[in-house]
Amino acid sequence: MSFINVNHINKTFKVAKRRSGLKAALKSFFKREYQYIEAVKDISFQIEKGEIVGYIGPNGAGKSTTIKILSGILVPDSGTCTINGMTPWKDRKKYVSNIGVVFGQRSQLWWDIPAEDTFDLLKDIYNLNDEEYLKTKNNLIKMLDIEEVIKIPVRQLSLGQRMRCEIAASLIHNPSILFLDEPTIGLDAISKKVVRDFIKKINKELKTTVILTTHDMSDIEALAKRIILIGKGRILYDGTLKNLKEKYGNTRHILVNTNNTIKNITKKGIIKQEKVDSGYLFEIDTNIISISSFLKYLSDIVSIEDVDIDTENIDNIIIKLYKDFEI
Amino acid sequence: MTIYIESMKMYLKSLLEYKKSFIMSFISQFFVFFTYYFMIIALFDKFDNIKGYTKYEVLLCFSIIQFGYSLIEIFGRGIDQFDKLIIRGEFDRLLLRPKNILLQVLCTDFDLIKIPRILQSIIILIISLVKLQTNLDIYKITTLVLMLLSSAILFLSIFILMASYCFITVQGLEVRNLFTDGGKHMAQYPISIFNKTFIFIFTFIIPYAFVNYYPLLYIIGKTTNKLYIISPLITFLYLIPALLSFKWGIKKYTSVGS
Repeated sequence: MSFINVNHINKTFKVAKRRSGLKAALKSFFKREYQYIEAVKDISFQIEKGEIVGYIGPNGAGKSTTIKILSGILVPDSGTCTINGMTPWKDRKKYVSNIGVVFGQRSQLWWDIPAEDTFDLLKDIYNLNDEEYLKTKNNLIKMLDIEEVIKIPVRQLSLGQRMRCEIAASLIHNPSILFLDEPTIGLDAISKKVVRDFIKKINKELKTTVILTTHDMSDIEALAKRIILIGKGRILYDGTLKNLKEKYGNTRHILVNTNNTIKNITKKGIIKQEKVDSGYLFEIDTNIISISSFLKYLSDIVSIEDVDIDTENIDNIIIKLYKDFEI
Repeated sequence: MTIYIESMKMYLKSLLEYKKSFIMSFISQFFVFFTYYFMIIALFDKFDNIKGYTKYEVLLCFSIIQFGYSLIEIFGRGIDQFDKLIIRGEFDRLLLRPKNILLQVLCTDFDLIKIPRILQSIIILIISLVKLQTNLDIYKITTLVLMLLSSAILFLSIFILMASYCFITVQGLEVRNLFTDGGKHMAQYPISIFNKTFIFIFTFIIPYAFVNYYPLLYIIGKTTNKLYIISPLITFLYLIPALLSFKWGIKKYTSVGS
């Protein structure tokens, strides 16, 4: 049995339906219409101890709902979930002492006082003994480089500094599972790197299982070997990033600058041809035609002044995936 | 209990971050209490008694209700402001921590600035007792202690009930003022001065009468029935449905979400 087992989880929310306009508002005042939104539909997956899994999908796909179910905040309508031998929404107190959760858009630190005081309070909340608390705290301070930062009132910190403190606060009780809900949202390049390096490090050194949701694909590239893609409440892809790239990363966009006019070329491997301001944009399938043979073919017809080949970009792959699955 | 005290220290630290605001609110809260007090004094300038109750009998009643209300406002503010926790989504965070939920809710906020009110209430209580020339025996002291306790317990129960309501909807929360603020203002007077409907409501729906009416009769010597001494204990039972409904609310929250 795996460390995290999720089997056929469903969750539906009942939401009051409202249309715009005064008349509709009045109508709904007397008779409210409800609409049922299936946030997650038949979700199943297994995660082993020590894995880092990227949980991705567009806004409203059901990412946060899944995280909330896994962390025990929500109870699903049906399905089972066993994590570390426990069901999250039963045995709440026992279960939550073993998980850490970071909500990138919400703070758990006391706003007006230094983060260090919040850590001290968390020590009492999690009943940690002095020795292990100090050990974990010093370790976190060192790894996240927040020695000075935790002595300043939280409201005066930059977002990057605050996020590092948030992460430290979520790990002060040394949990074996860490849920990160958009941990790098709004961070600058350096803070992002610190956060990513840190996640990698605790995963390697402490074997912490990490599940993270993000919209930043470079997070995923830097951290997760495995991704789970969710859209409209369903799992669409579950596998390695490498496979995904091989499967969907075979098209490249090439922008060709030329003074000549290019007529419609029909050649195997060229998916699309488009006239744009600065030249012609081609989309080619690299499994059929390589970039070099494409360019060679083209330079035989026209004189090329400049070419611009897009780099293999995970964002493009994801956009393509979203399109393919119509989410 | 440690986390409650530690949270209070945290609250105090944040409070002291804003010095001027702290001093100003402290002073203003001190005087706000007197406006309540002078309203009653002014009333008795015009009338000798209200339906047979003299000034100091009413003040005794007033001080007991004020004591309980202030105590819970100060130390139970977290539960009073519970709707904000739900609206801001901070309640989720509490579910992620291995401690009792209600205790954690109580730890989220305090209102220490109102502490002088407790002392002010006690002072008025003592003045009233002296002026009424009550000869305090063990029975009457017991009654008084129970009255003070039940006053706090009753307000705590009402606050918890109102917080449970937030699990259903955070709309129409003005209703709660009817029970807390409105109830408090009426309960400052002995219940029997009101008409029958109110007496019914304040006896059977929100048992204010057991806080400040039945035991009051014993203290001011209108009855010698010993049963009146323990009548405040009824309010302790009121805590049971309050706690149950809160528990039910958490269950509902986790199955509905957002």
